[in-house]
Amino acid sequence: MNLPIPFIVLLAVLSLAGTGFYCLLFTRNLIKVVVALQLIVKGVVLAFVLAGHLVQNESLAQTMAITVIVADTIVAVIGLALAVQIRLHTGSLDLKALSNLKR
Amino acid sequence: MINILIACSIGLPWLGALLVWLIGDKREKAQHWAAILFSVAAGAAAVLMLWHTSAESGLTITMGGVFGDFTFIPDGLGVFLSVIATVIGSLAVIFSTSYMKGETQIGRYYAFVLFFIGAMVGLVLTSNIMLMFFFWEITALCSYALIAFHNDDPKAVKGGIKALIITSIGGIGLLLGALILYVYTGTFDISVFIAAPSAVPAGMLAVLAFGFLIAAAAKSAQFPFQTWLPDAMEAPSPISALIHAATMVNAGVYLLARFFPAFKDVPYWCEAVMIVGMLSALLAAIMALTSMDLKRVLAYSTVSQLGYMVYAVGAGGVFASQFHLFSHSIFKALLFLAAGAVIHSVGTRDMEKMGGVGKHMPFVKWVFLIGALALSGIPVLNGFWSKEVVLEAGLAGGPSWIYGVMVLVAGLTALYTIRCVWKVFFGEARSDYHAHKVEMAMKVALAPLALAALVSWLAVGPFSTLLGTASLPQHHIESLNIAELVHEVLTLPTLIALAAIAIGVVLWLLRAKLEGFVEGLRGLRWAADHSFGFEAINSAVVRVTNSLAETLRNTQTGLLNWNVLGILAAVIILIAAISLGA
Amino acid sequence: MWYVLIAVGILACAILAISAKRLLISAIWLAITSALVALMLFLLGAPQIAVIELSVGAGLVTVLFVFAINIAGEEVIGLRSALPLPLVWTSIVLAAGLVIFFIIRSLGFVQFPELTGELAASVLWQERYLDFLLQVVLILAGVLGVIGLLSHSKDVHRMENKA
Repeated sequence: MNLPIPFIVLLAVLSLAGTGFYCLLFTRNLIKVVVALQLIVKGVVLAFVLAGHLVQNESLAQTMAITVIVADTIVAVIGLALAVQIRLHTGSLDLKALSNLKR
Repeated sequence: MINILIACSIGLPWLGALLVWLIGDKREKAQHWAAILFSVAAGAAAVLMLWHTSAESGLTITMGGVFGDFTFIPDGLGVFLSVIATVIGSLAVIFSTSYMKGETQIGRYYAFVLFFIGAMVGLVLTSNIMLMFFFWEITALCSYALIAFHNDDPKAVKGGIKALIITSIGGIGLLLGALILYVYTGTFDISVFIAAPSAVPAGMLAVLAFGFLIAAAAKSAQFPFQTWLPDAMEAPSPISALIHAATMVNAGVYLLARFFPAFKDVPYWCEAVMIVGMLSALLAAIMALTSMDLKRVLAYSTVSQLGYMVYAVGAGGVFASQFHLFSHSIFKALLFLAAGAVIHSVGTRDMEKMGGVGKHMPFVKWVFLIGALALSGIPVLNGFWSKEVVLEAGLAGGPSWIYGVMVLVAGLTALYTIRCVWKVFFGEARSDYHAHKVEMAMKVALAPLALAALVSWLAVGPFSTLLGTASLPQHHIESLNIAELVHEVLTLPTLIALAAIAIGVVLWLLRAKLEGFVEGLRGLRWAADHSFGFEAINSAVVRVTNSLAETLRNTQTGLLNWNVLGILAAVIILIAAISLGA
Repeated sequence: MWYVLIAVGILACAILAISAKRLLISAIWLAITSALVALMLFLLGAPQIAVIELSVGAGLVTVLFVFAINIAGEEVIGLRSALPLPLVWTSIVLAAGLVIFFIIRSLGFVQFPELTGELAASVLWQERYLDFLLQVVLILAGVLGVIGLLSHSKDVHRMENKA
C-alpha cells in the first residue's frame, strides 16, 4: 500500500487530537488533563506545518507553530503549578472533588 | 525625541503601578512617594510634548502585515488631553497622599490610579482604533475598580458595577465602529478614515456615527445614560476629581470631537448630538438643584457641563468644546478636591449637616469659591470665557431654541452653585462636626488649580494654535488671541447669558420670599429626585445584565469533562455543516 | 515508509500516555510522543520547529512534569468520566464517523507539493510581529507559573495561619 505522505501526517494529527480529546472527556486527574492538552497541541503543531506545505506558505505556518508551542508550554507550566497548589491546599487532584463552582 | 516622550507618558505610570504594587502595603510611605514620583514624571513628559506636536505619527510599533501598526500621533487634541490627564493626575495623587493616609490596601489604590493615567494618555494619543478600544476598556476597568475601592461597602460595589456595565455598553458601540471601519477601509488607522470618510458608504457611515454617539454618551454620562456618574461618587474624592470630572468622562467628548470632520455631514447627526447635550445639561442642572449630597451636586454639574461640550461639538464648535473642556477640567478637579478636603475633615457628604465650614477652613473656602465662580460663569474666571465661547458657537451653528435652553441652564448653574457654596461654607453649623486642619499636601494640590482657574483662559492663543491646522488638518480650527477672544465674547448674547446668571444669583438671594413659588414646583422636585425616570431605565439595564449572567452561570458546572464535551459537539456540528455544504 | 512507522509510533505512544495508571509513566510516554512528532516535523522540512519541539516538548515540559508529580504525589484516579457515559460515547462515535467519512473521501485526492524547507529568519516574524510580543508576555507568565510551582510549603503554612 502506497499512501501519500500528507495523508499519513494527517492520520498522525488525527490520532494525537483524538487520543487527547478522548482523555479530556474521561479523565478527572488534573495532571492527566495537562498531558492530554499537550497531545492535542502536538497534533496542532504538526497540522500547521502540514498546512503550510499544502498552501506553499511555510514561513507564516511555522511562525504560528512556534507561537503555539510557546503558548502551550506556558499553559503546561501554569497548569502544573495550579495542580500542585490545588493538591497542596485541598489534598486532591480529582476534578470532581474540586468542582464547587455550581451552587 | 517625541517617541520617547510618548513612551514615557504612557509607560511611566504603568511602570509605577507595577512598582507601587510590588512595594507592598507594609511600606506606605514608600508607596506614596513612588506614586508621586511616577505621576509627576509622566506629567513632565506630557508637558514637554506640547513643543513637539505634529500631525505625523510620533511613535509606531510594527505589528506585522496582519494587524497593522500601533501608531501614536501627538496632535494638538491628543497632547492637550494627555497634559490634562497627567497633570491633574499628579495633583490628585499628591492630594491622595494626605486624603488616603492610613487606609488599608493603598497599593491597590495607587496601582489603579497610575494604570488609569497611562491608559488615558494612550487613549487620546493612539490613532489605531483597536488600540483605542483597548485603552478605552482599561479606563472603564480602572474606574470600576476605584469606585468600588472600599469593597466592603455594598453601595460602593453597586455603583462600581453600574458604571462598569453602562460604560461597557458604550465600549460595544466603539468596537462595532472599529469593525465597520476595518471592513470598509481595510485599516484600523483612524486618521486615514477621517481624511477620507467617503470610503465608507453613507448608510454605514450613519450607523458608525450614531454608534459612536451612543459610545460617547455612555462614557461621558450623557442622556440617557447620565445616572451612573452620581452613583460613582462612592469613590474616594481624588478619584472623583481625576476620573469622574477631569479625564475619563471627557473621553466621550474627545471621541465626538475627533470624529467630527467625518460625521458632520451625516444627516441629523449634528442635531442629535446637540439635543443629547441639551437634555443632559438641563436635566442634570435641575437634579443638582435638589440634591443634598455635596458630591452628587458636583457630579450632576459635571454631567451638565459635559452637556455643554457635547452641544458645542454638535454645533460645529470643536474648539469651543475643547476650550470649555480645558476650563472645566481645572475648575471641576478643584471643586472635587476641595469638596474632598471638606468631607475628609467634617466626615459627612450631607450638606444638611454642614454649614459654616468656612470658619474652620478658610483656605478651602476661598479655593472652592474660585472654582464655584468659574463653574457659574462669572467674569473673569476661565469658566466664563469658555462657556461664552460655547454659547457663541451654539448660536452660530445650531437652532436658537436650543441656545435659549442652554442660556437657561447657565442661570440654573449659577443658582445651584451658589446654593451649594452657601449650604457648605456659610451660615450656622447644622450639626456638631469636628473640622480637622487641612494638611500641606492638600494645599499643594489645590493652590495650582485655583490659580489656573483664574488665569487659564489667558492661554487661549497658544491653545488655539495647538489645535490649529498644523496638527489637526481636518478640523479647520482658526487660531485666536486674547484680544480676539475678548472681542468675540463681549457681544449682546453674552449680556443675555450674564443676565441669566444674575437672575440665578438673585433667585437664591430672594429664596425666602419665593417659598410659595418653590412649593408650586414640588412635582418637578419629586421628578428630579427620581432622576426623571432615567434611573429606572439605567437600573433595568444593569439588572437585566446581572440576571443574564446569573442564568448563564448555571451552564458553568466546573467540571472540565462537560466543557470538553461542548467543544467536541461544536466541532462535530462544524464539520457536519462543512461536509453538507461541500 | 518512515512516515508510516512514525505515525503508528505516535498513535501507540499517545494511547500509552493516556492509559498509563501511574502519572510518571504517562509523562515519559508523552516525552517519547513528543520526540516522534519532532522527527516527523524534521522530515517535513521544518528543522527549526523540530528542534524547538524536541527541546521544549520532550525536554523542558517532561522535567516540569516529573517535578510537579514529585511534589503533588501519585494519585490514581484513572479514566472515570463524571459525565453520563452514553452521551460521551455517542459523541465519540459521531466524531469518529465524520473523521472516517472525510478520510475515505480525501484518499488519493490530496496532492503533496515539493518540500522546499527553506526558511529565512527575517521572514519569520514579518507577518505576525504581534505574536512575538505575545510570546514575551507568555514567557513572563511562565516565569510566574514556575514561581507558583516552587513556592509550595511556605504558602500552605500562610494559608493555614490565615484560616
